[in-house]
Amino acid sequence: MERYIKPPVEVRYADELAALAASDTGKRPENWKLSPLAVRTFILGGSVKTPSGRIKISRKFYGNDALVERSIITLAGSRGLMLVGEPGTAKTMLSELLSAACCGVSTNTVQGTAGTTEDMIKYSWNYALLLSKGPSREALVPSPLLIGMERGIFARFEEITRTPAEIQDSLISVMSDQILNIPELGDEGLVLARPGFNIIGTANTRDKGVNEMSGALKRRFNFETVEPVRDVKLEKEIIVREAEDMAKAGHIDMPVDTDVAELLAVTYHELREGRTADGTVVEKPAAVMSTAEAVSVYFQTVSHAWYYGASRPDPAVLTENLIGAVCKENKDDLEKLRAYFRTASKEKSKAGAVWKEYLGSSKLLK
Amino acid sequence: MSSLSGENRLLFFPVRHHSPVCSYQLTRVIEKYRPDIILIEGPSDAEELIPVLTHEETRLPAAVYYFYKDKKKLVSEEAEDYKCYYPFLNSSPEYNALLAAKHTGIPARFIDLPYYELMINTSEKSGLRRAEKQDYADDTRLTQGDVYRALCGRTSVRGFEEFWEKYFEIGGLRLSPEGFLRQMHTYCLMTRENADPEELEADGTNVRERFMAARITEEMKSHWRVLVVTGGFHSSGLYELVMSGDVKPPKLHTVPADCKGAFPAAYSYEAADALHGYASGMNYPYFYDSVYRRICESGSHEGAFDGTALDLLVRTAKACAKKDLPAALPDVTAALSMMRGLAALRGVGESGIYELIDAVTSTFIKGEKTLSSSLPIDLLKKLAVGEGVGHIGDKSRVPPLITDFEEQCKKLRIDCDTVTPKTAECGLFTSAKGLAVSRFLHRCRYLGTGFCKLQKGADLRENRDRSRVREEWTYRRTPSTDAALIDHTADGFTIEEACRTAAHKTLAGERRCEEAAKTAVDCFVMGIPISDERQLLTERTAADGDFFSVGGGMRYFETLHRLRELYGYEDESAEELIGLCFSKLIAMLPTMANLPKEAADGCIKVMKHMSALTDSILRSRAGELETALRLMVSAPDRQPAVYGAAMGLLCRFDDSFRVEAERALGGYLRGAPEVMKQGAEYLKGLFSAARDIMFGENDFLRMTDELITGMSGEDFTEVLPQLRLAFGYFTPQETSATAKAAAALHDTTASEIRFGRVIDEGLYAFGKRLDEEIAEEMT
Repeated sequence: MERYIKPPVEVRYADELAALAASDTGKRPENWKLSPLAVRTFILGGSVKTPSGRIKISRKFYGNDALVERSIITLAGSRGLMLVGEPGTAKTMLSELLSAACCGVSTNTVQGTAGTTEDMIKYSWNYALLLSKGPSREALVPSPLLIGMERGIFARFEEITRTPAEIQDSLISVMSDQILNIPELGDEGLVLARPGFNIIGTANTRDKGVNEMSGALKRRFNFETVEPVRDVKLEKEIIVREAEDMAKAGHIDMPVDTDVAELLAVTYHELREGRTADGTVVEKPAAVMSTAEAVSVYFQTVSHAWYYGASRPDPAVLTENLIGAVCKENKDDLEKLRAYFRTASKEKSKAGAVWKEYLGSSKLLK
Repeated sequence: MSSLSGENRLLFFPVRHHSPVCSYQLTRVIEKYRPDIILIEGPSDAEELIPVLTHEETRLPAAVYYFYKDKKKLVSEEAEDYKCYYPFLNSSPEYNALLAAKHTGIPARFIDLPYYELMINTSEKSGLRRAEKQDYADDTRLTQGDVYRALCGRTSVRGFEEFWEKYFEIGGLRLSPEGFLRQMHTYCLMTRENADPEELEADGTNVRERFMAARITEEMKSHWRVLVVTGGFHSSGLYELVMSGDVKPPKLHTVPADCKGAFPAAYSYEAADALHGYASGMNYPYFYDSVYRRICESGSHEGAFDGTALDLLVRTAKACAKKDLPAALPDVTAALSMMRGLAALRGVGESGIYELIDAVTSTFIKGEKTLSSSLPIDLLKKLAVGEGVGHIGDKSRVPPLITDFEEQCKKLRIDCDTVTPKTAECGLFTSAKGLAVSRFLHRCRYLGTGFCKLQKGADLRENRDRSRVREEWTYRRTPSTDAALIDHTADGFTIEEACRTAAHKTLAGERRCEEAAKTAVDCFVMGIPISDERQLLTERTAADGDFFSVGGGMRYFETLHRLRELYGYEDESAEELIGLCFSKLIAMLPTMANLPKEAADGCIKVMKHMSALTDSILRSRAGELETALRLMVSAPDRQPAVYGAAMGLLCRFDDSFRVEAERALGGYLRGAPEVMKQGAEYLKGLFSAARDIMFGENDFLRMTDELITGMSGEDFTEVLPQLRLAFGYFTPQETSATAKAAAALHDTTASEIRFGRVIDEGLYAFGKRLDEEIAEEMT
């Protein structure tokens, strides 16, 4: 198989999806690849019986199982699914997992930006063909939304609230009538959505108020708020697992140092909550303290150790990488990070040599 | 243990309190097993109340209210009072067992230890002696330990309640009675095996089970088929004890009859909610109660959960609409589809409360889920908990105080059948009903029922807002309302009687005139005459040697006297008590001349009040006050402020005291700096009683000016607070006139004195900058 930096979910977990499909006896909504129960197993983990024995299905989304269950049922119904939450809470990942499991495709995506236009959402034209042959199906460039409708698969709309409100509203008619009209094509221009079509949107709560969704559009979605991981242990597990996957993909053959992962998980958790494990209040940085950011910092530290010949990730390098991740939006965040290190030094200096080394590197915070 | 065969002489039915499935399966078991007697876990001192609970007119939720007063110190040295509730809902298996026994004509008995024995046999901070524990129906045992955690993990549910609903409440409805019994026994046995033996001893489980086992053994001698309904945790323990054949019941203590008791009381869904704080029973009692009612009405369990969840969903949508939250028909439809879909995905037979909450979360909350946007969930949960309050049909066992409370509420149109807070507005002087409502609510408040709270209105006790002519109350009936009324049962048959007795007890315990007078004020607002307490009040006043307490008391009595006609208060005792207080104060007044400085203000206040009374209701006694004041001013040592006030008051009786007052000020002026400073205090006292002295034909203004200008800056700063107070008694016009006169003394204008010289803004800024620059140069 060819190698990619980030293969789509349906490629990455092709074996698991195949095993689930083979053993799936549950009722499926029309055009779905798996039953809701099998989709749940794919995302939340479990095992399936196959002729060659039991196959373990890895857990891919941590945190709120009920949210996943609600999301699956929403997609099986007539409403779209809108995943909202802080950046880095795995909304996109969940959206990809759901699409891959339900439709076998996770790449039918519109990326919302300030420059997204209605053409990108509905359809546009191949102008050479348009000029030579006039408005015809051949000259039409379908958008992911149109593809989703025609094939009966999900269309994913990332960062929907980055898109201007009037552009977002072009979804309303599609979602309420399940019809997209292409007037240029005349009688052939009426596209009716096939069963299985639905929309998964994601929206960042940090963008709240930038392009507020209209009430009419909101009514066509069920909303699910994806919360950051609240359990430090779980966050550490996620960092370790994700870093392992990323290291494997990058041919970095270095075992994950769980102690260093813990440093990072605790730091992120305490800065995010604004309170240390001992109950001391610390100032929250303005930057997003997401698990995804923590994974990135950790992987950066591991890469540093690997390429510069160190035997293990260096806590001092971790501190340096932390500056880049935390001090992005506000210059006060550096002072907040320093203050956290001072507070943590008092509380955690007896926690072990790694912590001591880590907190000792606070002089690098400048 | 689970066989329903007629040959099985002893059948244990383990229950979870308020569980509809337990009720459903228990009634089926009773039909099939046909027991000769039903024994139920419940404190045996309430056995006589069983007919009251099953009375046709009794409406649930209701409870048995137990109390025990540990006067003999059998529980602890603290000799505390204890109380607890044993609540019953329509879905309570114990209640349905009682009902089934009544319908089939077989006896039903409560077999647990009497409540007082439960308390005696429970260690501190354990079982029913936990501070927050007021509910006998305790299921926490079923939800503790590692068993349920492991089960929740394996079955992918979020917690015990969801686990219970899925596998027992909904799953259990589809089982045969035998199958359900087996499932319950298995689960309860697992939790029992995980229990700490020391804890079983400490929380009284062991001794209770010995007692219950002895009762079961005893009943088996006279009945063939015995059905035992107990909390699931006890079944296996009891079974072993009974089967061992050697049960020695614990010896019961002898407790005086007036120290213990059990009464039926109205209860509320809100109090029955496990999330309410007692950590027992089930969450969302109204929801589960409705499920059971639905089963009973339709005669089938099919669709009971789905139907109840749908009802609640619609009610939630309506509640949302009332709050202007978007919850239209498509949202309800989407929620219904979500609810059913989740039930299918999770393998739950029908939609339970957790599917309903999930559905509302997903479909009603538009946008990020935050505290403020979660209102639909809050509304749903509130509806699922329920707001209703029960009613006891058979009044023969209901304490008369509760009966009177309900009758009064009905008469005054006060809604006491809901726990939803209500408001009542009463115009005190516009209608007889307004005053009657006010008095009733004041009485309820006085008895400590927690039923009502005065939000707005006159506070005669604190002498605040006396001019208000309306009162605004919030009220709501909770189980603690009934509990408080039951606690006052011995005080009388009616609310009024109980208040009268409680007031009498309070008065009897008071030693200070002021506190006794406050109780008289309480009686006043409750519309209870104090004529019967006149002797007690007289004694308290006569025996009180505290000048300030008697002074405070006199103020309260005057309030009562002055407002009696307005409030339609038919009692004339206050006037007499005012006279008595006045006599006491006259006798003590001369000794107050040399008070500590801190007490001076309080003394002046009483003196002025006495003076004011001699202008109104005690005109004939002005002479007595004058004599006492003359004695006061002739005392060798005098506190300057009190002295000044006495001089000021004497000016009212004899104009020559104006000259005396002037002389006295001159004395302070001519004194050493310390004495001069006392002059400011003297002025404060004098002006508080007779500020008009400043505007007479005398030298007061000049002398006051001398006093102030003759002081050093430091001394002036020290006495400034006293001077501020002294001039604080002046009206704005008087202050203006004083400033004008003082300006004339210094060849300037009044505005110059009052407001200072106007400085140009630019000049001020220049000076400021100059100051800063010099300061900078110097550093």
